[in-house]
Amino acid sequence: MAAVAAAVAPTRMEFLKLKQRVSLAQRGHDLLREKMDALVIEFFEVLRNIGKARAGALKQLSLAHQAISVCSAVMGTIETRQASREAKRELEVEISTRYVMGIVVPTLEVERVERDALARGYSLHTTSSLLDEASKEFEKALGLLVKLAELEESARAIARELERTKRRVNALEYILIPRLKAALKFIEMRLDEMERENFSRLKRIKAMLEAMA
Amino acid sequence: MSYKVAVIGDADTATGFALAGVSYTYVHVDKDRTLAKLTEFMASEEIGLVLITHPIAEELGAEFRRMMRMKKLLPVVLRISDKTGYIPKVDELYELIKRTVGAEIVVRAEEG
Repeated sequence: MAAVAAAVAPTRMEFLKLKQRVSLAQRGHDLLREKMDALVIEFFEVLRNIGKARAGALKQLSLAHQAISVCSAVMGTIETRQASREAKRELEVEISTRYVMGIVVPTLEVERVERDALARGYSLHTTSSLLDEASKEFEKALGLLVKLAELEESARAIARELERTKRRVNALEYILIPRLKAALKFIEMRLDEMERENFSRLKRIKAMLEAMA
Repeated sequence: MSYKVAVIGDADTATGFALAGVSYTYVHVDKDRTLAKLTEFMASEEIGLVLITHPIAEELGAEFRRMMRMKKLLPVVLRISDKTGYIPKVDELYELIKRTVGAEIVVRAEEG
C-alpha cells in the first residue's frame, strides 16, 4: 500500500486520471468475466460430447482388438502381420482449423475410412475372411477415434484459454483494481487534508491581520 | 490440408491400424527408441494425427507430458486403449477440468 501511495502524486489531475483507469479496468474485468462464462459453457458442451464419443470409440476399439485376436489365432500371427504389411496404407485425414471465440481449434475429417476388401491391398486368396472382419472393425474404430481426437483437442484448447482468461480476471479483480482504488483513496485523503490545512492557515492569517489592525 | 496418421503401440495395435490404412506404425520396444520415434512423428510435416496407447504414454511419463505441453497445434495426439482395455485411473481430462473450473467438476459427473 505504501508503495502505491509513494508512486502517485496527490494532485487533482492524477485523481481524475486514476478514476478513469479504475472505470476502464472495471469494464475490462466485466468483459473478461463474460468471456469466461461463455467459455465455460462451450467447454462443458465439448465435454459432454467427449463423454459420448469416448464410450463409442472405446467399445469399437475393443471389438477391433477382439477381431484381430481371433484372426491371429486362426490365420497365424505371422500371416496376419504379413497381410498388414501388404495392406495399402494411405489413409489421409483432412485437418483444418476453425475459431471458437477467438481460439484456434482443429477440425479433423476423414473421407472414407471403411474400404472394401479389394481396396485394402492384401492378397485375398491367401487370407481368411476374418482378416477382412478385423480390418473393417479397425477402420470403424479409426473413424471414431479421429472424431474423438478433434473433440479432445478442442477441449484442451478451450481449457488453456479458460485458464488464461481466469488468470487475467483474477489479476484485475484482486490486484489491479484494489491497487488503483487504494491510490484513489490516498489522493482523496491527501487532498482533504490539504484543504483542512489551508483552512486553518487562512484562519490564523485572518486572526493575525485582525490583531495588527 | 490432408495429413497422414501415425500409430505407436504394441504389435497387435500396430497390425490392426496398419490394416485399417494408417500410414506410419511403430511397435514400442523400449522407452528411448519410442521417444525418438515420437519426436520424429511430432516434427513431421505430413503427420496430422498420432495415436499412442495408454500404457506406452504412461511409460514415457514426464517426457511425454512435456512434449504434449510444448507441441504445436499439429499433430493432434490422442491416447487410446490397447487390447487389455487399459485406461488410467486419473483421467487427464478430469484433471484439466479440476484445474480450470475448480469445484464445478461435479457437474460433469451428473450429466455425462
